[in-house]
Amino acid sequence: MIHNVKRVLALAALALTFGLQAAVHAQDTAKTLETGTFHGKVHSTSGRATIYQEQGGKLVLRLTNFKTSNGPDVHVILIAAKDADDDANFLKSSTERVELGKLKGNEGDQNYEVPTGTDLTKFQTVSIYCERFNANFGAAPLEKF
Amino acid sequence: MSTHIGSLLSRRKWILAVSGPVLIAAWWAFRPEKLWINQKVSEAAPFASSSDPQPLYTGRLEGKAHPTSGRATVYRSSDGLQYLRLTDFSTSNGPDVHVVLVRGDDKTLTQEIVTGQLDNVELGVLKGNQGEQNYDLPASVDLKKYNAVVIYCERFHAVFGVARLEQF
Repeated sequence: MIHNVKRVLALAALALTFGLQAAVHAQDTAKTLETGTFHGKVHSTSGRATIYQEQGGKLVLRLTNFKTSNGPDVHVILIAAKDADDDANFLKSSTERVELGKLKGNEGDQNYEVPTGTDLTKFQTVSIYCERFNANFGAAPLEKF
Repeated sequence: MSTHIGSLLSRRKWILAVSGPVLIAAWWAFRPEKLWINQKVSEAAPFASSSDPQPLYTGRLEGKAHPTSGRATVYRSSDGLQYLRLTDFSTSNGPDVHVVLVRGDDKTLTQEIVTGQLDNVELGVLKGNQGEQNYDLPASVDLKKYNAVVIYCERFHAVFGVARLEQF
C-alpha cells in the first residue's frame, strides 16, 4: 500500500516535471538568430534590426527603436554584402538582394517576413532602400545573437 | 493688336499646359511633403514572450590585450532582476580575471593595460574562459552610465576584451 502511494507520488512528480518543461518550451516560441544596429547619416537612420525564427521555422525581421527619413518608394531589403555605405547604389551595381516589402513606417517597431530558404550567411545586411533614387537610407549589418 | 494679345494668351496657356504636368511629375518623384510628415507604426513582436527574460542591451566583444570574442547581452527576467549573459564566448585564460562594467567613454579603455584606477562595477570572477555564462547585476547599477562590459585581469590591469552595449 505504502509502496503504491510512493509509486503514484513519484509518477505524479515525474509528470509534473515534464508537464512544466513542456509549458516552458511552449512559451519559447521564437529564437533570436541575428541582430545589428542601423547606421546612416545622410538620411539619419537608427535603430535595431533582429531576425527571429518562429517555432514553425518561419523567419521574421523585426525593426525596433527604428527611425529613418520618410521618402517615396522606400523598401526593406536584405543584400548580399557585409555592410553598405550611405547612399550606396548597390541595386545598380547588381548586388544580389531579397525584397522584404515596402517600408511600413519611417518610425516605430515593425515586422517583415523573410522568405523561407533565404540564406542568412549570404544576405548579411538589412538595407532601407529608396528604389526611386537607388539610395541606401541606412544599413544594419547583422551578426549572430 | 488683338492677335498680339491672343498669342500672349496662348503662350500663357502653353506655359501652364507644360509646367503643370512637370510640377506634378516633380512632386510625385520627390514627394517633398514627406520631409515633414512622419509615418509611425507600432507592431507587436511576432511572438508572445512576456514571461521570458527580455534582452535590454547587447554588444559584441572585441579583443584588446588578448583575443576575445562573443556576445554580451543584458536581460531582465520576469521577476525584475537583471543579469548579463555571455554567448559564443571565448577569451584567453588568465589569473584573477573578472567581469566588470565600466563607462563606455572611459579613456582608460583605449589602453590595453590600465594605468591608474578603473571606475567599474564588479560582476564577479570570470567563470570560464569559454562558453555561455550568466552574471547577476546589482539592482542599483545604471546601465546608461556603465554601458561597456570588460573582461579584466585585475592582477595585471589588463583589458582582455570590451563589449559596448547598445539598446536591444
